[in-house]
Amino acid sequence: MRVPTHHDDRRQTDIAMTPMIDVVFQLMIFFICTASFQLSEELLPTSLVVASGTSEPARIEMEPELERIVVRGTYTDATTRWIVNERPCDTLAEVRQVLRSVAEIDRGLPVILDVAGEVPLGDMIDAYDLCRLEGFEKIQFAAERD
Amino acid sequence: MRPPLPHRPAAGQINMTPMIDVTFLLIIFFLLSSHLAQQETQLELDLPTAASGRLSVDDERPRLSVNVRADGSVMLGSTETPPAEMARRLRIERERLGADLEVRVRADRAVPYSSVEPILLACAEAEIWNVTFAVFKRDESN
Repeated sequence: MRVPTHHDDRRQTDIAMTPMIDVVFQLMIFFICTASFQLSEELLPTSLVVASGTSEPARIEMEPELERIVVRGTYTDATTRWIVNERPCDTLAEVRQVLRSVAEIDRGLPVILDVAGEVPLGDMIDAYDLCRLEGFEKIQFAAERD
Repeated sequence: MRPPLPHRPAAGQINMTPMIDVTFLLIIFFLLSSHLAQQETQLELDLPTAASGRLSVDDERPRLSVNVRADGSVMLGSTETPPAEMARRLRIERERLGADLEVRVRADRAVPYSSVEPILLACAEAEIWNVTFAVFKRDESN
């Protein structure tokens, strides 16, 4: 009869750690590598003109001065300055305040963003974002042909 | 006499552990390579921030990216395109991909609006009305 060895006795109780460590390392590598360090992008939808159901672009009819909000952006001394319906605003917070007071009366008013060419896009998007946050839906961009 | 242990591998039995290891490694490799390939398609830009943006939905609608780099150069997809050419190329793409084509403007936040304005005009000329700006999420509290 063969005498059982000491090694055989240990096999009953020992847990094999190597495959578990393998899997744990693989999972770690997977999660580290798939973690995206890029910021996720979002979208700001725009409506260049209101589609009219025909293939022809719809004509934008200019409303009377009091029935639209014109947000003008100018760029002087490396600073963007804003004018909302002829009322100068030094900061975007002021612009927001004016927009909010108008929005409380009528959110359906069209907003026209008339931004000078020198204004950084980031500032233009800030103004557009404010209009959207205050609930305006008809926001148009003024653009000039060369 | 002590009976043999039941879990002792028989002489002809295949050890599955290395095979499972290799299988996992292959799965990880393919997942990672597809993930990185997806990230590489987007040009890295310092986009503007906005609080009212919405998450992009990967639907079946045709989409075209217009990238505006910090130096003002405009790329339609991966091809550098002069502003004068933009309307013509967009019109071709609209005819090829359909009327519900979305143009996604990915522009550096520092570029002047005059670099983006011709793109908006070109979209209107090409009768593409679905134009979106790519932005990074900003908390409204900031």
